[in-house]
Amino acid sequence: MSVSFAVGVLAVLMLLHAAYSTIQYRALLKITEDEFTGPPYEVLVELILVLILSLFAGLTVPGNFRSILPDSDENRVVSLPSNMNFMIFNHRGKAFPTESSLKLILN
Amino acid sequence: MANHDDSGKKSSENEVPTFNAENLQSNMKVVYYSRTFMSIIGGVIAGILGFTGLMGFVVYLLVMAITSVCLTARAGFSIHSYFDSWNRVLLDGFLGGLLSFVLFWTFAYDIVHIF
Repeated sequence: MSVSFAVGVLAVLMLLHAAYSTIQYRALLKITEDEFTGPPYEVLVELILVLILSLFAGLTVPGNFRSILPDSDENRVVSLPSNMNFMIFNHRGKAFPTESSLKLILN
Repeated sequence: MANHDDSGKKSSENEVPTFNAENLQSNMKVVYYSRTFMSIIGGVIAGILGFTGLMGFVVYLLVMAITSVCLTARAGFSIHSYFDSWNRVLLDGFLGGLLSFVLFWTFAYDIVHIF
């Protein structure tokens, strides 16, 4: 998550740098008295990079999508009781032969 | 219980589809944050490029379309396991994002081209 956040910060910094470059380019155009038709090519490339990086950061930083279906793996309603009051051991299971190789599988 | 369910009813169907509203809300938040961030970035880009008038709104539509496609791709193209309708992922933050876009577009244009 912090990698995507760093990428987002990098995208914003590049955006500010592109803005500053365009301001300087316009100052240059004022000196040579040309018209502003568009920012220079480096700024265009930088803006495309900013778009790609900010897409990546903007989609990864807010978090993952979580499933809304009730029958998906992460939405299981059943959980083992953590309340020890309901765990009893004095039941009919003591009639079974003890087998030390039995393992309890917890899901 | 680990999760509590709220039921969403569709009046025109025989069965009642239930979904986990808490996760749906969290997914909507993700979509909203993504759209707002992309609107802001798109606004500053439109301002730097010097677009005025209708071209800027074309840029906004483009940025929103790209964001929608990427959100759909992020949900693995199976929207129905994360949202309850297509409109939520395609149209939800559209107008709020438009306002942020225009604000930052004007801001960036003024800073870069006027002052």
